[in-house]
Amino acid sequence: MGPPGKRDEDWFSRIYVAEYPHIVKYGQRRLADAEASAELAQEVFVVAWRRRHEVPDHSLPWLYGVARRLLANQWRARRTAPDVQPLADADVMSGVGSPGSDATVGVTDVRAALSTLSDLDQEILRLVGWEELTVAETAQVLGCTRTAAAVRLHRARKRLNAAMSSRAVGPGAQPALAQS
Amino acid sequence: MSGEQRTRALLGPADPARDAVIAPPRLSAHDLIVRAESAPEPLRHRRARPARRLAVVAAVVVAAAAGATAVIHTFGPVRADHAPVAGPRRPAAPGSVLVPVAYQFTTDAHPAEAELHALAARISDAPYDGRTGRYAYHEYKDWGSPITSSPDGRYVVGETMDFKVWQADDGAGRQIQTALEPQYPDQASRDYWESHPGTSAPIGQPLTMTLPRGHLTPLPSNTAGLADVLDVRSGGAAVAKQISMVYGRYVVPRRTRADILRVLAGVPGFVWRGNVVDRAGRAGVAVTFDDREHAEQVLLIFNPTTGELLAQEMIRTDTSKWVSAYRLILATDRTDQLG
Repeated sequence: MGPPGKRDEDWFSRIYVAEYPHIVKYGQRRLADAEASAELAQEVFVVAWRRRHEVPDHSLPWLYGVARRLLANQWRARRTAPDVQPLADADVMSGVGSPGSDATVGVTDVRAALSTLSDLDQEILRLVGWEELTVAETAQVLGCTRTAAAVRLHRARKRLNAAMSSRAVGPGAQPALAQS
Repeated sequence: MSGEQRTRALLGPADPARDAVIAPPRLSAHDLIVRAESAPEPLRHRRARPARRLAVVAAVVVAAAAGATAVIHTFGPVRADHAPVAGPRRPAAPGSVLVPVAYQFTTDAHPAEAELHALAARISDAPYDGRTGRYAYHEYKDWGSPITSSPDGRYVVGETMDFKVWQADDGAGRQIQTALEPQYPDQASRDYWESHPGTSAPIGQPLTMTLPRGHLTPLPSNTAGLADVLDVRSGGAAVAKQISMVYGRYVVPRRTRADILRVLAGVPGFVWRGNVVDRAGRAGVAVTFDDREHAEQVLLIFNPTTGELLAQEMIRTDTSKWVSAYRLILATDRTDQLG
């Protein structure tokens, strides 16, 4: 990989158009607040311009890393308790164990099980499962080696599997992860 | 199928943004460049924004709970056993202005490692040690999340909430939350909100919620696992937050309390503040961690006899010196009776 190309306004406009929706979605998956997600995305690109000479040509993992740090800053700065969850967010869990289609129960159960894991486990699973990053890209976001990210992903999947296995769900509705 | 593919196959359908249609950005690339160049101090810029964002979140929460700022301090769905009524107009200038806790060692505080190890070695049983009961019981008081700020972000008011939580190992239980008088980080905020009263949670009216069954991960019994739960890799601020979470959720046995203190001793950056008195009037010993990147100081106050966490606070270290959040853990026990 060579050095980053020219970092001018044209370059910035291109990555802004291409990656803005991905960063908004990153926020929506973690904030459940469309307005805050849009603000987060714009803040990410403000940082990207300030640090444009550090942005690699394949910029998306780098931008996710900035978004992750901005979110962590916000939570660290304003929250004493990470387990505090606004009631509005509980909607995603309201179907757990309730009657409904298998698909619905599966989705809510995955989200509920995911919410019981550590922040880091949740983040690596979301980065791979939702942002669809490779392990190498995930390592870049998390600031660790590829090997460390692979091990962390493996362990997080096992813990997610365990969390899902322990949840009470309707008959035949419980999705399971294959062991790797 | 690779691990990546397996993860995507499972999580993909649960992606909350999977089918989201993203509106075009309000600001152009050029606008953002202008903004970036006109605000060269990221810290100050960033600090002003979360208050406004959280004010939005608070508004959503208030709307969702029909007037009450309801938060659940656990996982899983909850059911409000009775609907709260819309809050009254906030009376003129209720509540107090928060003053930072006074430290024994204000300046030249030394690293906390040796003191924390010594505390870990001498702690004794807490009143709840050895007690049994189906439910873990906690009472705690929180301030700082959510907050409401003025449109310019300068003046802040936060609801003070008292939580009583009974939760079994399977997650089932009950939570009663009660809004107390609001509190302010400075007199100017109190003066502002006196002249700009808004809708608040109904003060003194308990809101009872049923906590459903769910998966409550037991606390690890080994130091390595505990270090993982405490998120040691992320540094002092994260560790402090996790310790507060642990003491707000679990009935922490004596051995684990000692292990937590030892793990904390190994985290760089904590300094010993000596004897303090927390907001509930309890004597404690304190450590702090300066999160310089975010101009915030995190304070942890421990019971000097039992090693329990009594309180966690966050104090801004910029010119305002505001208390930005606190949690007081007021009671911990095990019981068979739901309150």
